[in-house]
Amino acid sequence: MPDQAISIRAMNKYYGGFHALKDIDLDVDRGEKVVICGPSGSGKSTLIRCINRLEEHQAGTIKVNGIPLDDNVDNIDEIRREAGMVFQNFNLFPHMTILENCTLAPTLVRKQTRQQAEETAMSYLERVKIPEQAHKYPGELSGGQQQRVAIARALCMAPEIMLFDEPTSALDPEMISEVLDVMVGLAEEGMTMVCVTHEMGFARQVADRVIFMADGQIIEQAPPGEFFDNPTSERTRTFLGQVLGH
Amino acid sequence: MTDLSMQHTLSFKTVKKHYFATPLNSAITVLLAVFTAWVLWGLFNWAFLDAIWGYGKNEECRTHEDGACWSFVATRWRIVLFGLYPFEEQWRSALACIVMLVVAILSCVPVFWSAKRLPTLWVIGFATFYILMRGGVLGLTPVVERDWGGLSLTVFIFAAVCLLGMPLSIIFALLRRSEMPWIARTMALVIDVIRSLPLLSIMFTFAIVLPFVLPDWAIGDKLYRVIIGYAIFFACYQAEIIRGGMQALPAGQEEAAKALGMGYWNRVGYVVLPQAFRNALPPTINQFVITFKETSLVTIIGFFDILASGRAAAGTADWSFATIEMYVFVGLIFFVFVFSLSRYGAYLEHRLNVGSR
Ligand SMILES: Nc1ncnc2c1ncn2[C@@H]1O[C@H](COP(=O)(O)OP(=O)(O)OP(=O)(O)O)[C@@H](O)[C@H]1O
Ligand SMILES: [Mg+2]
Repeated sequence: MPDQAISIRAMNKYYGGFHALKDIDLDVDRGEKVVICGPSGSGKSTLIRCINRLEEHQAGTIKVNGIPLDDNVDNIDEIRREAGMVFQNFNLFPHMTILENCTLAPTLVRKQTRQQAEETAMSYLERVKIPEQAHKYPGELSGGQQQRVAIARALCMAPEIMLFDEPTSALDPEMISEVLDVMVGLAEEGMTMVCVTHEMGFARQVADRVIFMADGQIIEQAPPGEFFDNPTSERTRTFLGQVLGH
Repeated sequence: MTDLSMQHTLSFKTVKKHYFATPLNSAITVLLAVFTAWVLWGLFNWAFLDAIWGYGKNEECRTHEDGACWSFVATRWRIVLFGLYPFEEQWRSALACIVMLVVAILSCVPVFWSAKRLPTLWVIGFATFYILMRGGVLGLTPVVERDWGGLSLTVFIFAAVCLLGMPLSIIFALLRRSEMPWIARTMALVIDVIRSLPLLSIMFTFAIVLPFVLPDWAIGDKLYRVIIGYAIFFACYQAEIIRGGMQALPAGQEEAAKALGMGYWNRVGYVVLPQAFRNALPPTINQFVITFKETSLVTIIGFFDILASGRAAAGTADWSFATIEMYVFVGLIFFVFVFSLSRYGAYLEHRLNVGSR
């Protein structure tokens, strides 16, 4: 097994003529928790979506668990199985119950029996504290509950890495903490996490490293203490001033 | 200007406001009401009071001018419904239609709305229909397709077109939004070209022109060529309907499925299509209605569908005066089917709106 969960080298990404990511180098160790922040449009989502090929990069290499992300479809499938993703808008399947949402991929992709998949799903739904909602449809749940289901659904695939793209920014303020609590729990269990978020409290509490992006580049990265107290770049300082509100 | 958002309750006030606002308005209202009543009374007289009922009264009908001759239907209904199908075997034709009717009704029950159950139901229903009609097995005398006619031929064409056209439309819709641009563009072109042609010209091409072009072994029966042509036509319209349903899906749905490691067919089969069909249900039902009605075009290329068998039933010298009764009877059969289907569509739309999740 390679040491690095994720290893990105000289990666570039274009949207047509627009250079969205510029020479990205990034390593994430096994069990490491990385928080990515930065102004809107800086390429945070693009970066995290390149890791599981929701977006295709044009130059450089990406390896996930040592598997190179190239045009080989088997590799892409394997990487997607290794890396679970949680989206800003939950993206639960509205025509399926919560339980069906959680068992769909394990039965189809991991070839689990329905009973196995349901048992696993129920155990994860218990962990995110909503087992009683299992037979409801996503539309009947609050945003916070839906996002917790989305986390459980990703966990049901037993991924080694979890990618979060602003998991709390579509939530009403009173629901943010219930989702963050689940994420903190996950971090404490040693999950490798890459998390785009502006929840700086969360970053301080669980991150091993905070990365600041602007204009498609990584401007600065440091452990949270250093990052928040002694940011080196001017842009980081301005940004922190804005999100921390002083 | 009438306020369209206002509820049209039939109170004295609203009647007065909408129908008797000015003297001219009142005059028009009264005139139209009298005229409508007069037409309806005439129709009622013709259809019921002055009508001749009972079996084999064509001599009475011939001299009787003001009423409908329902005796035509009572006497000749078997020709209208079954065409040239052998007389002693017509129970098979009737049973076959009932089987398809049951299939159609069952398709409306939500329990059957799954990617496995609905096709299974239709394939079994259609196979039963075909075996009953065609015979040659289970001790049933064979009856070749050329001798089929009437309602069962119409139902056969309709069911075959839907059964072939549905999967075809899904394939067309998927190709149409393929990630490979040249596949997507070619499919778009094919769909647009076929949709811009009249159905009749496609039927003619498949029935009459194609045999000159195809090698002998590929020609097949004229009926099946027409069905294939019609199915392709159906599929092009239905593909656009399904594509509309897919486009209404947020991109996040497919991304979530990708992120879970689901392959293309799993994404399409479990995430995209079920939701796309839900979105596209009202126009899909509308498409079925149109398809059923337009099966009657096959008369023109010489098939003995219900319209043609109706004409044949009223075509002999002793019943030649009963054309109107024939069209009313055939029209009523179409009406019952089409009206219940569109009412069902309206009900579904309402239900989906109310319970939209
Ligand atoms: N599909 C696309 N086509 C063209 N340009 C895109 C596309 N997706 C993103 N971009 C552009 O790429 C840049 C980076 O976008 P990205 O979504 O990664 O930003 P972000 O840092 O996640 O911003 P936010 O905080 O608003 O989510 C933006 O300028 C955006 O306009
Ligand atoms: Mg983003």
